[in-house]
Amino acid sequence: MSEPFEPKIVGFLCYWCSYTAADLAGVSRMKYPPNLRVIRVMCSSRVDPVFIIKALLDGADGVLVAGCHPGDCHYQKGNYYARRKVALTKKILESLGLGPERVKLSWIAASEGPKFAQVAKEFTEEIRRLGPNPARAEIFL
Amino acid sequence: MARRDEPRVGVYICHCGINISYKVNIEEVVDFTSRLERVVVARDYKFMCSNIGQELIINDIKEHNLNRVVVASCSPRMHEKTFRNACKKAGINPYLFQMASIRELVSWVTEDEREATQKAKDFVRAAVRRVIHHEPLQPRIVDINPNVLIIGGGIAGMQAALEIADAGRIVYLVEREPSIGGHMAKFDKTFPTLDCSACILTPKMVSVGQHENIKLLTYSEVEDVSGYIGNFEVKIRRKPSFVLEDKCTGCGECVKGCPVSLPNDFEYGLMDRTAIYRSFPQAVPNIFVIDKEGFSPCRNACPAGLNAHGYVKLISAGKHEEAFKLIMERVIFPASLGRACPAFCERECSRQLAGGPVQIRALKRFVADWYYENVGLEPPVVAQEKKEDRSVAVVGAGPAGLACAYYLAVQGYPVTVFEALEKPGGMLRYAIPEYRLPNNLVDKEIEFVKKAGVEIVCNTPVGKDGKRIDELFKEGYKAVFLGIGAHKDRTMGIPGEDLKGVHHSITFLRRINSGERVVLGDKVIVVGGGNSAIDAARAALRLGAKDVTIVYRRSRVEMPAFPEEIEAAEAEGVKIQILTNPVAFHGKDGNLSEVECVRMELGEPDESGRPRPIPIEGSNFKIPADSVILAIGQYPDSAPLAEDGLEINRDGTIWVDPETLATSREGVFAGGDATKGPSTIVEAIGLGRQAAEYIRRFLEGEDLKARPYEEHWLETVDREEVLKKRRYEVNEPHRPSERPVAERIKDFGEVELALDEERAVEEGRRCLDCAGCCECRQCELLCEANAIDHFMKEETLEVKVGSIIVATGFKPFDPSNLVQYGYKRYPEVYTSVEFERLNNAAGPTGGEIRMKDGRVPGRVAIIHCVGSRDENTNRYCSRVCCMYSMKFAHLVREKTGAEVYEFYIDIRSPGKMYEEFYNRLQEEGTHFVRGKVADVTDVTQSPEEEGRLVVVAEDTLAGKVRRVPVDMVILSVGLTAAEGADKVAHLVGISQDQDGWFIELHPKLAPVSTASDGVFIAGCCQGPKDIPDTVSQAAGAAAEALSLIMRGQVEVEAATSYIDPEICVGCQQCKKICMYSAIDYDPARGVCVVNEAVCKGCGLCAATCPNKAVTVKHFNNEEIFSELEGVLL
Repeated sequence: MSEPFEPKIVGFLCYWCSYTAADLAGVSRMKYPPNLRVIRVMCSSRVDPVFIIKALLDGADGVLVAGCHPGDCHYQKGNYYARRKVALTKKILESLGLGPERVKLSWIAASEGPKFAQVAKEFTEEIRRLGPNPARAEIFL
Repeated sequence: MARRDEPRVGVYICHCGINISYKVNIEEVVDFTSRLERVVVARDYKFMCSNIGQELIINDIKEHNLNRVVVASCSPRMHEKTFRNACKKAGINPYLFQMASIRELVSWVTEDEREATQKAKDFVRAAVRRVIHHEPLQPRIVDINPNVLIIGGGIAGMQAALEIADAGRIVYLVEREPSIGGHMAKFDKTFPTLDCSACILTPKMVSVGQHENIKLLTYSEVEDVSGYIGNFEVKIRRKPSFVLEDKCTGCGECVKGCPVSLPNDFEYGLMDRTAIYRSFPQAVPNIFVIDKEGFSPCRNACPAGLNAHGYVKLISAGKHEEAFKLIMERVIFPASLGRACPAFCERECSRQLAGGPVQIRALKRFVADWYYENVGLEPPVVAQEKKEDRSVAVVGAGPAGLACAYYLAVQGYPVTVFEALEKPGGMLRYAIPEYRLPNNLVDKEIEFVKKAGVEIVCNTPVGKDGKRIDELFKEGYKAVFLGIGAHKDRTMGIPGEDLKGVHHSITFLRRINSGERVVLGDKVIVVGGGNSAIDAARAALRLGAKDVTIVYRRSRVEMPAFPEEIEAAEAEGVKIQILTNPVAFHGKDGNLSEVECVRMELGEPDESGRPRPIPIEGSNFKIPADSVILAIGQYPDSAPLAEDGLEINRDGTIWVDPETLATSREGVFAGGDATKGPSTIVEAIGLGRQAAEYIRRFLEGEDLKARPYEEHWLETVDREEVLKKRRYEVNEPHRPSERPVAERIKDFGEVELALDEERAVEEGRRCLDCAGCCECRQCELLCEANAIDHFMKEETLEVKVGSIIVATGFKPFDPSNLVQYGYKRYPEVYTSVEFERLNNAAGPTGGEIRMKDGRVPGRVAIIHCVGSRDENTNRYCSRVCCMYSMKFAHLVREKTGAEVYEFYIDIRSPGKMYEEFYNRLQEEGTHFVRGKVADVTDVTQSPEEEGRLVVVAEDTLAGKVRRVPVDMVILSVGLTAAEGADKVAHLVGISQDQDGWFIELHPKLAPVSTASDGVFIAGCCQGPKDIPDTVSQAAGAAAEALSLIMRGQVEVEAATSYIDPEICVGCQQCKKICMYSAIDYDPARGVCVVNEAVCKGCGLCAATCPNKAVTVKHFNNEEIFSELEGVLL
């Protein structure tokens, strides 16, 4: 390991709030680490636990799921379902010994460009601190 | 077709001028891309979104036979549609396209060029991998409903409504206030032209009101919005206005009768209004509404449902006869209640928290006495035709029986009351001592009941020992009411209870109330803690006892007697000995001489919820006594009725259905102490009246339970809210005076004295009108058009529309928290909106600029940027304040000649003729002081400042602190998001920015569109703006809506869910969680099916399905997994 560790992070962002916030962060030229790779979903509730597990097995060091604030979901209450799914996924990861702290759920509203940049920055730092994900598929399976 | 073909991908990398290329090495990305699997063409161009860029794609598709396209450029929010259309033009399905955002997500947010390039490569690779799995989807075409919903009836909503209605389409214009007009209707003049706001607005309002295509729904709020572009279903809640829209002529006669006084919101509380009101004379629709927020706490506290608020307010307006009539609708014996009622109403009165409760009971006494003295003993009812064939027998001439009798009699039913005792009145006569309720008054009130047509026969018990119930029916009575009270004393069952000198309270009180002077001796012990113990004790004092002690087995807090009665007894010298209980009475020669008591302690709570008293062993002691009065409870003498076929409860009360008060025997009803056990007069009267209603239903052959007893009932308003909203002075009630103790204990004369008229009226005015309307119903009497319906219910209207325009406006900033400006602390500090009213010809001063004391101000300060451009409140500029502040300056100078000081940060006057107006103001001699005001104070430093407010500010041009003494201060408050904007945003699916303003689709190019298709925004709800901008935006939003309507059809997202019936097991989990009920279960096939017209494509079902039978088109697992692999490689 000659190169310093650069985490790979996948971010599933809901189109209505968090993806818009990411756009706003861009429009406002807010700088954040390049480690976050964004995947657009229409609603945070679309994020199947399988997505998160697959991301971790495919080599992601961290997974961010971001949706509208509680009560603000574009689809009424999809974010509440997302919250449950993420909580459940963490339990599964825990029992598999796959550090649940590598998964983060965050509420980022459409107007919260700065918050998006902040979350991206903090989560990257957090994962950097945790080090590489040991559970890549080739090792784990 | 395309799926089976080999995927051939074309990738296009955009420079976006230099927006992308300044961080991303485009050449490197193109090179990388061209080597990716399936990529046939990889190119870059300066502006992919330009026509040339799009042509590039179209040509390549044709030339290289491409069947997949990826564009790496800006956010899909910007140009996804553009490129999809390009694909469509070239003949491939628009869903075979994928966008990679390398501007918003890469070049603009990444410092390092190498990293940005790498990130862009990852995104392009992910998009290529994803697009390979894309499937062609058919966009759904939906029809556009040509009707439009507009939320908000200010100038924006009105303008949009007129544009659309004039184009021949139907508009539902929903406004939550009673009138349209919004803020503009409150302004006096508009800047910079100084034309009269009302003069230009009201004709528009009238047009809106009269337009055949505008369905005006005022006093209404949107409750729910469902559906999608072209096909919205909207639920609108129409608040009850209690005035029939089609009948009200707007004459305003009703206002003259209304005794209620509430702060006038339209005038920002600068003056009051009545409960029935119209916001302003030019209101559209020009009809009145009644401000009724529920029932007042006093009214719902009354067991008999007496409308205390109503009669209190009528008394305050000097309408004593009307007040009396209102009382008689719910109770009889008002003079008796006015003396002996425990006044549950006063305990709930909001004034409890503001000086002391309104003296409701004393007011009732006043008005009842007034009526008997000035009008007489005639019941205020219209004689009804006698219903001779439906006569009713009432047993017991107490409050319950007589109330039942009275309310039947006034409806024309012949009623005969049979009373066992010598005289009618029940407990009123026989249990309440005369110092609280004189018997001649009881006589008077019984006379009053008789005049309503009630016949009373005394000395006639009913039951086993008297007249049998069967006999009553045989005599022709069609129904019987039993109001026999609870006249039997409980006994203690301890040794010596039969000694001479041991009395039981009910019997004792009956004897003294019958005029007997019972001899008690000097030392009297009263046993018990209830009201009848207190009555007995105070009566004992008046009979000459020197030493009266109440002995009670629990502690003081558990005493069931009313606190004010206990206090009055103590004031008269009655002693109270708690935690003590008699165990035996000892006597000499058959006469009581000593009471043997035991000390008690409190244990665990018993079934009554109070701590159980436990005797302390060995603590017995003796008290010498001449008499003892046992007041330990009473129960109904119902045993003789059991043999007449009635079910009797274990405690001796008669069993009744709690709703109908029907006993176990058909046609026999009961109420009062007979069914409840010992309670209060007002409860007995309430039950008597309730029984009368159910007897009426019984006699008329109606289903007893078809309707509730209280058909008109509203929730109690919140006292805390009332106190927040009303303006009032915390002051002492006008309590009725009492005779001095030394004098009153010598006889049985009344203790409490009446309120005189002046004090009664004053006391009535202390009422805070908690509920708003007091339902005195004076307006009904005055309304010639019969337009008032106090029982109007809320309605929900459902409409279908194709588009929605949100124009919910703003709320003026509330400067209360900016204490340095002294708002609400100094009366001469106004907000700008308040000043608009002060300056308005229709406002509280008729348009004269006057101080609260009536003087014309000599110097006026206007403070800019209050709640704007301030880190501590709002950072944004509210855009209109500079201009209206200068308008004020001009008007103040024109009307009063006062010197005006404008304290500003910068003057913002960008607009047609705005800068010129600024110049004009400077020439007119307005003083412009550049500096933010630090303080507005009444602490003076020089004689010139004396009696004035001093505005302290640093003059940043002169470089010194200035103190400017003025008479009036106007705070130029900014604009903030409207109240309830969050709710509206959520209803229609749009977002708010950090300040609460609605977010437009694009700040430059789509200023009235939103992220929700078919939903448009106009006016200040999008951000602060002046009237011309608002009107332009409104017209723009109307044009967008009309454009949609003219198209007739629109494509909607094809990315809906699909359930594979081969995999689905019919567990229906997806059906349960779907928030749009878009999934149905098909029992024939045992699978779930998606209704695509309703599905919104959120994908929750796909993530939930345990066997992955559900997929979301365009966001299926394969597509997302490929994208995932693409970014992670």
